[in-house]
Amino acid sequence: MSKTALLSLCLLVLPALAADQQWILGQSTLSYHVSHPLHQVDGVSHAARGKGICHAGQCDFLIAVPVKSFDSGDSNRDLHMLQVTRGAEFPMVTMRTRLPVSAATLPMINADLEIEFAGQTTRYRQVPFKLETQAGEIRITGIIPATLPDFKIDPPSLLTIPVKTEIPVRVDMTWRPE
Amino acid sequence: MRWPIFLYRQSESPSPLVICLFVGLTTSLMAQSAETGVLTGKVTDSSGAAVANATVTATSLDTGQMRSTTTRADGSYRFDGLKKGSFRLKIEAPGFTTLETSSVQVDSTEMAVLDAKLQTAERTSSPPAPTMQESLPAAPSSSKTEPSLSDLGFSPEQTQANPKEQALLDKRTRMLRIHQRMGLITTIPLITTLALSVNAGGKSTSNADRTAHLVMGAITGDLYGITAYYAIRAPRIKGTKTKGPIKFHKTMAWIHGPGMILTPILGALAYDQKSNGEKVHGIASAHGPVAIVTAGAFGAALLSVSLKF
Repeated sequence: MSKTALLSLCLLVLPALAADQQWILGQSTLSYHVSHPLHQVDGVSHAARGKGICHAGQCDFLIAVPVKSFDSGDSNRDLHMLQVTRGAEFPMVTMRTRLPVSAATLPMINADLEIEFAGQTTRYRQVPFKLETQAGEIRITGIIPATLPDFKIDPPSLLTIPVKTEIPVRVDMTWRPE
Repeated sequence: MRWPIFLYRQSESPSPLVICLFVGLTTSLMAQSAETGVLTGKVTDSSGAAVANATVTATSLDTGQMRSTTTRADGSYRFDGLKKGSFRLKIEAPGFTTLETSSVQVDSTEMAVLDAKLQTAERTSSPPAPTMQESLPAAPSSSKTEPSLSDLGFSPEQTQANPKEQALLDKRTRMLRIHQRMGLITTIPLITTLALSVNAGGKSTSNADRTAHLVMGAITGDLYGITAYYAIRAPRIKGTKTKGPIKFHKTMAWIHGPGMILTPILGALAYDQKSNGEKVHGIASAHGPVAIVTAGAFGAALLSVSLKF
């Protein structure tokens, strides 16, 4: 490669890496799954909002969703979930992560997540997510392996049998550049 | 027309119905009596030295009511006359990280003691206290290299903590748990009453069978009353739209609720007629069908919510 071509490439790529870029969360579906020997429950929310700010080759993302926005199809159960997760006292679930700008071009990423929920902050290391790029938007899907003890939540019980402590959270988000 | 309950006052001994009603009412009234307790403790720093003038706030998890006091020179604090129940304690002092405890139980029989150790502010990396969730998002990131919650456009109502609503939710859950357990317990005398009705009505002339049926019916009525109390008095949460199986559960209550009032009234009329050697007639003959519909609606209500948490 000639020196001129290398210089041209540097002139094109470096400013792009250094420049601040922002991402906005468009459509999203977050759902938790609760399992009990007698019952399976999925609570779904489409109310998440998120923003990513890229600087010096790194992007910081913040996604937040109101605890109240999760709908399991039963208002009584939702209120009970709100109570056990102390959702009125800690009304938002927030998730933060930092990714390199180059991650946007990969088919799979492993992200370190910091999730604040029910008054507790828990970190999940190397959570795999699948990325799909369509018309300039990036769709990210994956499952966060959350558990109730991670957030010091006592498992609710039905007929004295508690639910399983695993509450995997399925994530399906579409991000677009601002 | 005579009021049915007075029919039993004509008998020689107090009616079992009256006794059961009395027992049920007395229990309910005793449960409602206000009792108070004392919460005390000592606030120290990480070296064990007393922290004076720290602000200690006790928040009732039942009512959301708050009381504050400051620690004395020896770091001690004391709340007198706290209403019996669960409290959350918040301890604030300049130079220290705000400490929030989980629930502490105050009762009237013994003094609740809760000592607290504060950490100096700069060393802390503990989980966020409730107030932190309010303050964190409110402050936009100064460097603008990291997004903050305020960048996302949520309304303050969505992001701010509401301890009063949490207290209501906690109370609601506690009351509905009792409601659920009492409902399950009520099924035992309810089924027994239905089983005893076979020998109590029709051509049967046995006073013993009728009395046994009446006693079990009275117990069912009392337990049902307590069950209903905990559902009716459970706090309502604003902005909640009823949906799912609970809607059917509530609809059934509009059938078994009036049924549980009507059944003993009709039963008393039927009992009176049978005791006088008459065949059950008139409106009293509806006792059986009304009881069956009531029991059916009660069972359906129970099943509709028993397969979930």
